[in-house]
Amino acid sequence: MNRLPLRALIAAAALGLLALFVAACGSSDEAPAGSKEMTFTLTDAGCEPHNAKAPAGPINFQVENGGTGAVTELEILDGETIIGERENITEGLTRSFSLTLEEGEYTVRCNGGEEEDGTLKVTGTLKTKAGPEVEKAIADYRKYLIENTEELTARTKPFVAAVIAGEIAKAKQLYPVARINYERIEPVAESFGDLDPRIDARENDVKPSEFGGFHRIEKALWEEEDLKGMKPVAEELQEDVDELEENVKGVKLQAVQIANGANELLTEVSTSKITGEEERYSHIDLVDFKGNVEGAEDAFKTVAPLMEKQDPQLVKEIEKDFAAVYKALEPYETSKWPGVVLYGELSEADTRKLAQVIDALAEKLSLVPAQIAKGEGA
Amino acid sequence: MLLSRRRLLASAGLGAAGVGLGASGYLIGHEAATAEAAEAAGTVPFHGEHQAGIATPAQDRLHFAAFDLETESRAELRELLEEWSQAAREMTEGRMIGAENDNLLAPPDDTGEAKGLPASNLTVTFGLGPGVFDRPGLGLAGRRPPELKPLPPLPGDELNELESGGDICVQACADDPQVVFHAVRNLARIGRGTVTMRWSQLGFGRTSTTSRGQETPRNLFGMKDGTANIKSEDTEAMNEFVWVDDGPAWMRGGSYLVSRRIRMNLEVWDRSSLADQEETIGRRKYDGAPLGGQEEFEPLPLDKTGPDGEPVIPTNCHVRLASARENGGVQILRRGYSFTDGVDQSLGELEAGLFFIAFQRDPEKQFVVLQRKLGVHDLLDEYIKHVGSAVFAVPRGAEEGGFVGEALFA
Repeated sequence: MNRLPLRALIAAAALGLLALFVAACGSSDEAPAGSKEMTFTLTDAGCEPHNAKAPAGPINFQVENGGTGAVTELEILDGETIIGERENITEGLTRSFSLTLEEGEYTVRCNGGEEEDGTLKVTGTLKTKAGPEVEKAIADYRKYLIENTEELTARTKPFVAAVIAGEIAKAKQLYPVARINYERIEPVAESFGDLDPRIDARENDVKPSEFGGFHRIEKALWEEEDLKGMKPVAEELQEDVDELEENVKGVKLQAVQIANGANELLTEVSTSKITGEEERYSHIDLVDFKGNVEGAEDAFKTVAPLMEKQDPQLVKEIEKDFAAVYKALEPYETSKWPGVVLYGELSEADTRKLAQVIDALAEKLSLVPAQIAKGEGA
Repeated sequence: MLLSRRRLLASAGLGAAGVGLGASGYLIGHEAATAEAAEAAGTVPFHGEHQAGIATPAQDRLHFAAFDLETESRAELRELLEEWSQAAREMTEGRMIGAENDNLLAPPDDTGEAKGLPASNLTVTFGLGPGVFDRPGLGLAGRRPPELKPLPPLPGDELNELESGGDICVQACADDPQVVFHAVRNLARIGRGTVTMRWSQLGFGRTSTTSRGQETPRNLFGMKDGTANIKSEDTEAMNEFVWVDDGPAWMRGGSYLVSRRIRMNLEVWDRSSLADQEETIGRRKYDGAPLGGQEEFEPLPLDKTGPDGEPVIPTNCHVRLASARENGGVQILRRGYSFTDGVDQSLGELEAGLFFIAFQRDPEKQFVVLQRKLGVHDLLDEYIKHVGSAVFAVPRGAEEGGFVGEALFA
C-alpha cells in the first residue's frame, strides 16, 4: 500500500480540495516557486504552532522534531481525509512536503501529542494557471467517467432485476456486461470512501457480515447456484452504483491524477486479473482485464496531448504497446459468452505472455505522470 | 527502451526548470562520494579487453539470469546491449542507475535496494545464446561463430526446458547478495518489452577458486571444490583454454559460457559413509588432499596403487575422470555457485545443488568432452542430476564509453 495513494488524493479533490501533488517533493529546494514556507515543530504537547493561518496557494511545510519522542509525524487533513503527511521525524530530523491548498479550515494532526489536533486556516482564492489544453483533458475525462457510470447503472438494473427474480441463467448472462464499465473507472470509484468495497470487494477483503456487491452475487450464482437471500444484496448494489454515478458528477480532477489512474488500472491487471483472483467463481477475469486496459488507454489518450511536446516518442511507444496488449488478447476472444475465454482455460504460457505485455506497457506508462507535470509547469 | 526514455525525461526536466539544476548538482556530489566509498570496498572495472566476471577472482554471490529476446529488430537488440552496459557500468562503480531518482511523480530509475551498499566487487557479464543468430529479422546469421550452438544431448541429462537455454544471459557476481539481486532486477526492468526473463538462479556461495590468492571453498557435499581449476594468473592456460583469439572480431577476447543447474541429492549423500564420499570424489573430505596423497595442491597420484594393487585414486572417481591427463589435456575455467531454492515439494527434500558455470574457448571440445565421460562413468552421478543447461557466447569486453557486443553491429 502506498502511503499516499491516488485514491486518497482524488478523494481530496472530490471534496473540493485541490491537492496539487505535482509540487509535493521530498526536499524543500524542490518546492514550487513562490511557495509559502511554514515551519511546524513537534513537541510533547503536539504541533507548534497549534493554530496557524496561511494564504491559499502552494505551501511548503517544514516539520522539525523539537526534541520529543512521543510525536514523530505530522498530518494535514481535510475533514478526515489525509491529504499530506510526513512520518518518522525522530529527534534531530527535519522533513518537508508541499501542498497547494484552497480556502478552508484544515486539521494539523500530530499523533501522540497531548493535544493532537490543531488547525490551519487558509484564506483567499487560489490562482490556477491550468491552460486550455489541461482544462480540455480534464473535461474529456470527466465526460468519460460520467458516460461509464451512467452505463454502469443502466446495465446493473436488468442484472439486479434478474437476481431479484431468481433467474440464475439470465443473471449469469448479464453479470459481465455491467462489470466492464466498473473496471474501466475503478481507481476513481475507489476514491469514494467505502463505496468501492461495497460494490467490488472480494470475500477475503472484508468482514463476512460486510461481504456484498458484485462478488457476493457472483458467488451465489456460480458457487452456491442459489439466489436465496440475494434480494437485499442486489438492491444495495443498485443503490451503490447510483451513488457512484452521483459522486462522479462532482469529482475534481487533475491531469496528473488521470495519468496516475491509468497506471493504477494496469496495477489492477497485474495484481488481480492476470492471477485469476478477481472473478474467482465465474472466472471471467479476462473481461475485467480488458476493461482495465481500455480504461487505462482512454485515460492515457485524454492526457497524451499534454505531453506531446515534451516527448512525442513516448506517446507513440505507449500507443504501440497498447496495440500489442490488444493483439495478445485476440487469441482469447470468442463469439460465445462472455466474449473471452474463462481464466481456467489459460495455460501458464498464456498468462505469462499476457503478464509480460502488460509489464512492458506499464513500465512506459509509469513515466507519463511526471511528463504531464512538466508539461503543466512549462 | 526504458533507460533512454528516462534519461530523456530527466534532461527535459533540467531544461524546464532552473530549480532542477541545484538539485542535480547536489546529486552529482553525493554520487561521487558514494563512488569513493565503493572503491575502498572494492570495485572491478567494467571495461577492458575481456569482460569482467571471468578472470575476476570469484566473488561470493551470484545472480544469473537467462532472457528470451522478444524482438526481431537489430536496432532494439543493439539499444538493449547499450543500455545494459551503461547500467552495468554505473552499478559496478557503486552508483545508482539513471538520472531520475528524486522526482516524486516518477518511478525512480534505480530500484534502490543497493543504495548505501558498496560496489562489493560487482561484475556483470553478458552472453548471447545460439538462438540470437537464428532469427532472420536480426540478420546476424553471418556473424555466428561456429563454436556457438546448442549443446548436444549428454548422458545424465534430465533437463527441464524452462530452466534451460535462453537468448541472452546476465551473470552478476559480487560479495553481497543484495548487490547481485539488484543488478539482475534492474537489468530485467530496463529490458522490459525487449526481453523476458526465462529463468534465473541465485547462488549463495562460490564453489570455485579462480585465483591463487583465494582459498578453496567447499561445495554442498562438504568437499573442497576447484582445487585443480585454472587460475587467472596462469596466463598461458587462460589463453589456451579460456580466451577466444580467432573467428569473428566481436568474439576475440571473449569466451563461451556453459551453465548447468546440477541438483544434488543431499539426503542420499549425507547417509553415505565417509569412505564412500571420499572415494566418490577422489579427495579426502577435510583437507582436500588427493587420496593417497599428503596435501591439497599436490598433483593427483593417478598411477599410484595401494597395498591391494588397486589405484589409490579409484578408476571412476570424479577427480580422475575430470582430470586434464585423462582428457587429453583438456581444461575449463569453472566458476560455479551453490544454490538452494527451498523445498522440492514432491519429495519434501532440499532443492539444492551446484549451479555450474564454465568458461572455455570451444564448448564442444571442452565441456562436452568432459561431460560425455563424467555423465556415464562418474561415481558422483549417483548423487547428482543435471536439470538445467545453457550455452552463451560471451563477447569481448567493452571499450571505454562503448558497450558489450558493439563489434557485433559494426
